[in-house]
Amino acid sequence: MGLIPLVAMLSASMLATGCQGSRAAIEVKTELIVYAASSLVGAFAELEIGFEEANPGIDVRTTFAGSQVLRFQIEQGGPADIFASANQDHMEALVGGGQITNSLIFAGNDLVVIVPKANPAGIQTFADLGQATLIVLGSENVPVGAYTRQLLDNAEQHFGEPFKKHVEARTVSLENNVRLVRTKVEMGEADAAIVYRSEAFSPRLTMIPIPEKLNARVRYPIGVLARSENPSQARTFIDYLLSTEGVQTLSSHHFLAVQ
Amino acid sequence: MNRNGFFSSLGSLLGIVLVSLLLVPLLAMLVSTSHQDIVAGIAHPMFLPALFLSLKTTSISLALTCLLGTPLAWWLASSRSKSTKIIELVVALPIVIPPAVLGVGLLQTFGREGLLGSLLQNLGLSIPFTASAVIIAQIVVSSPFFIQAATSSFRKVEPDILMVARTLGSSAVSAFFRVALPISLPGIVAGASLAWARSLGEFGATLLFAGNMKDETQTMPLAIFSAMESDLQLAIVFSLVLVGGGGILLAALRCLPLTVALTKRRPR
Repeated sequence: MGLIPLVAMLSASMLATGCQGSRAAIEVKTELIVYAASSLVGAFAELEIGFEEANPGIDVRTTFAGSQVLRFQIEQGGPADIFASANQDHMEALVGGGQITNSLIFAGNDLVVIVPKANPAGIQTFADLGQATLIVLGSENVPVGAYTRQLLDNAEQHFGEPFKKHVEARTVSLENNVRLVRTKVEMGEADAAIVYRSEAFSPRLTMIPIPEKLNARVRYPIGVLARSENPSQARTFIDYLLSTEGVQTLSSHHFLAVQ
Repeated sequence: MNRNGFFSSLGSLLGIVLVSLLLVPLLAMLVSTSHQDIVAGIAHPMFLPALFLSLKTTSISLALTCLLGTPLAWWLASSRSKSTKIIELVVALPIVIPPAVLGVGLLQTFGREGLLGSLLQNLGLSIPFTASAVIIAQIVVSSPFFIQAATSSFRKVEPDILMVARTLGSSAVSAFFRVALPISLPGIVAGASLAWARSLGEFGATLLFAGNMKDETQTMPLAIFSAMESDLQLAIVFSLVLVGGGGILLAALRCLPLTVALTKRRPR
């Protein structure tokens, strides 16, 4: 009984997608598929608009996920033209596997402490982090967590006390991406967290910078896939990222320019 | 070929398509995994604590779901008022909400700045980032499945049978336990196993509400998510173990009404 409507629905949706395909063909726009790390969502959405205005013949389609997931999808034949990663290891693995011919660094980031606007633990500087009783960090499996461990090691050497152990003992959750870390602080459930600078700007958060000499150096590589059918358009996109306009957009989203 | 024959072979063909769709991805994961991968996965420090925590929390949430859900389902099935219909609809709502959003809602309820936050703080209770949060998240996502199944199987209990039990001198309570419950047991067990399976796979609400901490709140799905960020093969091994263990426990649960029926019949 329920089968006929189901079949009708399926065929209707097939027809609908079929129609979309033919419409795109009439407009003859080149589709450029960009796989980008989740932390780039805001910046890349804006870059896409700027780039498409400057290049009306190209339609940029962005997909956002964790760098590891994107790398797996590329290895499994995902239809990407460009890969922008938050982590150099994943890019190097793809270059090593021949899926990407070469890559370059297009942006940088560093780590900051975020606390809720109410700041229940009264944290004023990075050195106060130990005052917090509920700390949320990135898991060491993910880039932000690995960078955080680097930072804590540096801090331990600098402050000459069991700083790292102290912070780890008060850590209540190890999240698998920066957004989850940030949400916990935004909702006031955590006293403090360590995230990328680019994630620290929200009306509910106060950002506390971390001294440069202790901070981790976060770098974002980008590369064109070897199997891309539109390599020259892909390179145009990367050139746009590195242009004055592109760099401006990236820095308005609090990424650091890297030369 | 006659019409019946045609439809029955068409039916089995369509069934085969769906069965393959459900099974082939699992087989693909199995095929991509070697014996050594499985050994390495089980030996991984994340594995045992996560498995143990999953078993512990899902057992507790299942028990609480049955305890709180059975009277509710009985009431939903036996009451004829309009409000019942509304409540029946409302308790099914969590099924359509993405679990991660439910997790945010739970934080806004039980969190420090949540609706019950100051009350809980006065009582000295802090729920987020604890195993209690894991259990609450599991109950919220899984109990709608139990309530639905239990309600519809209670509806199948004929009021006449209960009436007969009452006229034969049994109290309302004993009529429920000795007549209604045994009749609806297969449906209730099916609902309970569905709810338990949903709890075992629960991820989004737990992630938001309870966080991800080994030994404390990192259940199997969260361990799988963590492993996926660094080592996909490890995530696959964890998932296969979860599927295998879950399958065995589900089969055991489904056999329960049968064994109950058999053990009851034999002595008499």
